[in-house]
Amino acid sequence: MTYKRKKYHHGDTHLKKRWRVRNRKKDLDQIDEDIKEENAEKLLNQSVDLDLPGAAQHYCIHCARYFINEQSLNDHFKTKVHKRRLKALELEPYTIEESERAAGHGNFKQPSKRKIVGQNVAKSDEDGDAIIDDATPSKKTKPNENDA
Amino acid sequence: MRIETCYFCSSRIYPGHGIQFVRNDCKIFRFCRSKCHAAFKKKKNPRKTKWTKAYRKTAGKDLAIDPSFEFEKRRNTPVKYRRELWAKTIEAMKKVEEIRQRRSNNHIMQRLRKGREVEWQRDVREVQRDISLIKSPAAGLKQRQLEEETEMDIEPETIEVVDAKGRKQVIEAPVMVPATGEMVEDGGDIEL
Repeated sequence: MTYKRKKYHHGDTHLKKRWRVRNRKKDLDQIDEDIKEENAEKLLNQSVDLDLPGAAQHYCIHCARYFINEQSLNDHFKTKVHKRRLKALELEPYTIEESERAAGHGNFKQPSKRKIVGQNVAKSDEDGDAIIDDATPSKKTKPNENDA
Repeated sequence: MRIETCYFCSSRIYPGHGIQFVRNDCKIFRFCRSKCHAAFKKKKNPRKTKWTKAYRKTAGKDLAIDPSFEFEKRRNTPVKYRRELWAKTIEAMKKVEEIRQRRSNNHIMQRLRKGREVEWQRDVREVQRDISLIKSPAAGLKQRQLEEETEMDIEPETIEVVDAKGRKQVIEAPVMVPATGEMVEDGGDIEL
């Protein structure tokens, strides 16, 4: 016998799986730390790690994701997920310190807004006009080819 | 013993209450109850969740900046115990709390007062706009025409206003007109 009635409510099991601790991605305040220049440089020029996607050579700082090649990384920059993330990072992320300030431990500071520049755009500023530059990712790919 | 603050709603967490989450970078997130913990797991933004302290302060609903907030703070310098100092601190805490409460209540009242003013002005404007529903514009037209013929000067009209709280106020009608009156005059100038 088949079950006749169509189910419209599927509960929140599929959501709860996403919220599990082992599925946690980096939080916004951690990414905020990564964006800082000295950290960003390290993350963008990681040494080859064969356990990570694309041997950790194609990394998006803002989304904290590894991509398998330059093509998929560039495609990712055009996606809604990435743009939404850039938008979310515009406002200073909420931190533990802020929660304490909100509780009345010290004066409350209004979160400041800043401009977030995409990692591909930031690189092109050095070169000139080109928005999507080919120079830096090729640098990244070189060690990959050598090792592989 | 320490009274911690909730990461999400910034309320106090007394010993034996709540739950804490330690992120893989050693940051400790404390939650006062499962409601806050669940909201954190769902990645809700405390600044946009209306029932949190962070929301109330970013939206300007609660007093956010005041010298009275500078007393209670995490200070990473230990203080040597002295009975006298302890007694004085306890006294000061009571006083500071009283002042802080008075100021934050005052802040809320100030905001409410502004709303009342706006409400009152809106009521007056509504009455002026829709007065024709109660009183026909043609009522006493002939008398007015006669008066205009006889004497040209018009005395300022007065309206008695009773607001939501039952307070009575007598205001001059032409005083409230400028909001609409100026617009008409400006329009006339452009046409000319």
